[in-house]
Amino acid sequence: MKINRTDLTVFSVSVILGIILAVQVKQKVPQMIPVTLKSIESTKNEINALNKEIEELKIMIKDKEEKIKTYESIVSGDENIVDLLKEELYKNKAVAGFETVKGPGIIVKMEDNMDENAFGQSFDLDLIHDADVLRIINDLRVAGAEAISINGQRVLSMSEIKCGGPVIRINGKSVGVPIYIKAIGDPQLLSAAINAPNTYGYALKTIDQISIETTMEDEIIIPAYSGAFEFKYAKPIREGD
Amino acid sequence: MMKKIKGQFAIAIVSIFLGIILALQFKTVTKTVGEGILPTQRAQQLAIELKKAQEERDAALKALNEAENKIAQYERGEADNNVYVENLYNDLEKYRALAGYVDLQGPGVIIEIYDPPVDVQYGIEYSIVDDIDLILQTISVLNAAQAEAISINDQRYTAYTEIVRAGDHIEVNGVSINSPIVIKAIGDPETLESALSIKRGIVWTLRFYDYTVNLIKDDNIVIPKYRKLIEFVYSQPVKEQVN
Repeated sequence: MKINRTDLTVFSVSVILGIILAVQVKQKVPQMIPVTLKSIESTKNEINALNKEIEELKIMIKDKEEKIKTYESIVSGDENIVDLLKEELYKNKAVAGFETVKGPGIIVKMEDNMDENAFGQSFDLDLIHDADVLRIINDLRVAGAEAISINGQRVLSMSEIKCGGPVIRINGKSVGVPIYIKAIGDPQLLSAAINAPNTYGYALKTIDQISIETTMEDEIIIPAYSGAFEFKYAKPIREGD
Repeated sequence: MMKKIKGQFAIAIVSIFLGIILALQFKTVTKTVGEGILPTQRAQQLAIELKKAQEERDAALKALNEAENKIAQYERGEADNNVYVENLYNDLEKYRALAGYVDLQGPGVIIEIYDPPVDVQYGIEYSIVDDIDLILQTISVLNAAQAEAISINDQRYTAYTEIVRAGDHIEVNGVSINSPIVIKAIGDPETLESALSIKRGIVWTLRFYDYTVNLIKDDNIVIPKYRKLIEFVYSQPVKEQVN
C-alpha cells in the first residue's frame, strides 16, 4: 500500500485540528453561560446608567447637607425657621406647578389642517390627536422646558391630555383648537425641538400638514395650576414615623 | 504533476479564506470584549463592576435618605413647638410630594409591557422603543383616572420627565431602561384598571400591536422619589399679591 504524501499531510493536519477543537470545547463546557456580545453591551450600558445616577444622587446629597448646616445654625439661634420653611415651601410649590412663573420661551400654535384637500386616504390624519400633543410636550421637556401650559392650563405630572372630538381635555377642562402651548426655557433649544428636521413637530408639519407655528418670546407668563389636589391614596414613606 | 498542484492550490485557497474569517472574528470580539480576554471573562468582570456600581448607588441613596431624615427631624422639632410652623411644615411635605421628591406608597396598579415576539417569518422585529407614543398615552390615561403618582421602571414621573429613544433602548429621566417596561401608579385600583382596559383603550391597543401586557392591581405599591435636583434657570416667580 502506497502512502501518499499529500494524504498523510492532510491526515495529520486534521488530527491536530481535531485535538485543538476538542480541547477548546472541553474548556468551554464548565462555563456554559451563553455570553453574547449583545449582553456585554447591555451590561456596559447598565453600568453607565448607574454611574450617572450616582452622580445625580451626590448632587442631591450635597444640597441636603447644606440645608442641614442652615438648620443647625437655626438651632443655635441665628436664623428664623419660619422664613426658611416658607422659602422651601415656595420652591417646592414652584417645582410642582402651583406657582405662576414668567421667563423667556416659546409659544407653539397648533391647528388642524384647514385645507380643503385632505391628505391621504384617511381624513383622520389632518387632525390633532392626543399622541401629537403628548409628543410635542415630551420634546419640549427634552429641550429643558421648565414650565408648560396648554391654553392656559398648567401641565403637571398629574395632567392628562385626552382627545375628545373637537376639543382636548386637560386637567379636567376642555380646550378647543387652536391649541396654544407655552413653554419657558431657552427659546433657541425649545424652538429647535419643534422645528428642526427629524423632530416629531417637523414631521407633523410636513407629512400630516398640521399647522404648527412657533414664536420665540422674551417673556411668557405661565399660570399656576388652577385646581386643588389632595392625596387620597398615596402616603409618604418616612422612617421613624 | 498538474493534479497534485491543483489539489494543493485548492487547499491553499480554503486556508486563506479560513484565515481571513478567523481574523475578522477575532477583531470583532476583541473590539467588544477587550484585548486578550475571553468573552466569558469579560462578562464576569462586567458583572462584578455592575454589582459594585449597584452597591455604590444604594449607599448613596441611603446617605440621601439619612440626610433627609435629619432635615425632617429639625423641621418637625420646630413644628412641635408652634401650630403655625406645624401647618407650614405639613404644607411643605404635601408640595414636596407633589413635586416628586417624596417616596410614596399606596394601592394602585402595575402594568408590565413586554416586547412582541419576533416574527420569524417576515423578519419583522420591533420593540416598545419604536412606540414611545403608547407609553405617553398610557401615562395620560392613568392621569385621567386620577393617578396620584406614576413611575416607569422605578423612575418617578414628574413634570420634567422626558422619554426618549436612545439607540435600541429608552431613556427616562436620563436613565436608560430595558424591556420590560413596568409602569406603576398609585390611585384607586378599580378606577385605574377599568380606565386602562376599556375596549379600544390603551391596553387593547398595545395588545393589538402584539405587545404582551400584564395588568395587576396591588394594595401596596411603592413609588420612589425623583432623584435629580431641579433648578429653575429661566423661570422667575410672579408675585401676584403681597402675603
